[in-house]
Amino acid sequence: MLLIYEPESAYQGEAGERRLTEIVAKHMALAEELIAAGVQTGGAGLQGVDTATTVVTQGGRQTLHDGPFAETHEQLGGYYMIEVDDLDQALAIARRVPVAEGGKVEVRPLMREDG
Amino acid sequence: MRTADGGRIAAARPRIVAALAARFRDLDLAEDAFSDAAAAALVAWRQQPARDPAAWLWRAAMRRAIDARRKAAVRDRAQHDLPQPEATPEEILIAAREPIPDERLRLIFVCCHPALAPESRAALTLKVVCGLSTERLARAFLVGAPAMLQRITRAKRKIQAAGVPFAIPEPSDWPERLDAVLSTLEVAYAQAFEDAALTDDAAPFAAEMLRLSGVLAEILPQEPEVLALAALVRFAEARRPARLDGCGVMVPLEDQDPALWRRDLIADGAVLLERAAELGRPGPRQVQAAIHAAHLSRAETGATPWIEITKLYDALLAVRADVVVQVNRAVSRGKVFGPGEGLSALAGLADEPRVRAWRPYHAARAQLCADADHYEAAIQALQAALRLSPPPAERRFLEQRMSEATKALGRSRPAR
Repeated sequence: MLLIYEPESAYQGEAGERRLTEIVAKHMALAEELIAAGVQTGGAGLQGVDTATTVVTQGGRQTLHDGPFAETHEQLGGYYMIEVDDLDQALAIARRVPVAEGGKVEVRPLMREDG
Repeated sequence: MRTADGGRIAAARPRIVAALAARFRDLDLAEDAFSDAAAAALVAWRQQPARDPAAWLWRAAMRRAIDARRKAAVRDRAQHDLPQPEATPEEILIAAREPIPDERLRLIFVCCHPALAPESRAALTLKVVCGLSTERLARAFLVGAPAMLQRITRAKRKIQAAGVPFAIPEPSDWPERLDAVLSTLEVAYAQAFEDAALTDDAAPFAAEMLRLSGVLAEILPQEPEVLALAALVRFAEARRPARLDGCGVMVPLEDQDPALWRRDLIADGAVLLERAAELGRPGPRQVQAAIHAAHLSRAETGATPWIEITKLYDALLAVRADVVVQVNRAVSRGKVFGPGEGLSALAGLADEPRVRAWRPYHAARAQLCADADHYEAAIQALQAALRLSPPPAERRFLEQRMSEATKALGRSRPAR
């Protein structure tokens, strides 16, 4: 699995939008090539971190936080891709994802094709 | 200035904005359509008053929302070749003849969703449900207007992009979600009561909190904590006329003249609290409201029932062990068992930075120290409170206490 990390600020403003258009075109070219080679099994862009909600499991309780998982001493351990109608359904499933004490599950919508 | 028409518009707002938001799933669209309709109403009603102002506004706002949606769809179609929006204006006008659906609860649940940051929830609820302006919210929450606008915009964007549903939560989620709503209203009311309370700005803000908590109690009459919160807001607002003296100095609760308290709000609160008790499910807000009611009973009996209040604080501490409760409990223990007991109840709290930055802690400590004749310690506590930039009325009160303590210190010295 390949995980992409970038500063979101790179895509803000007018110059950012031009950059985004270029990058998206490059992604599409890469994906086409990888699919043709039979090595790509999935992938998607995510919406910005300000759409993120994190479920924190601690002390036998689950709480929600507005915002992304902030890297401290936990590491990315896996992912689920789900398709549901709304955030509440996504959060209900996120709460069921088994994690160790202090574990966090970040819920983030994928980019929609219609923008 | 709120005119009679302005009052009718404000009263109709929550229901209409909620119905529009439910219909179009778009908070901005709902708010904009309502503001346009309200502006048109102010002009039209001067010529001819509306027989049913809410229905007039509902029809006008619905027409504007549909119009905006169609224009947006035309714009989008030019770019993306999207299909036509589903309803024609004719269909909408037919729908608009029906009574306004009551979607207020859904709207409140959206604005108070736990996936939004708590400080955003309070601001968003007051903005969208009550229609308070960004500028007024910025003043109440002690941030700049641009920061407040950004907070609200970001919350709305998250609702849209993350897919917060416009729905009443599932029964299994109900306790957590209702608690998020109630704590949001508590945050909002604390702003109205503490910071803005002693300025001209606070009266309309507090009036909105009375309205909003009342709406919630009306929609959820079977939820005792909802009723208790509505009672609590009424009890606290009942004291507002007594909270300043003629010179603009804050008057603490125990020095207030009960003749100035608003009997109508006390009576409304008492009815709500009684209905909450009848439901037989105790909770922290019911205890808090009971504490307020105990203080207000001085209007009838002439004396504050401190023993009862101390017991209520013990009960509250068991379910809500926060510093606000601990400080208030210490004050009540000081009244019952003497200031030394009150000070020892405060002693453990001083280590927390949050407590040291909280004015009521220092004010409570100053009072207990003065009661115990420790005037130097009282002066230090008052200085600490004054350093935390109190609003003008509270500053004057603290300065008054400071000069009393300084005089008392002067008197006590030669005797030693």
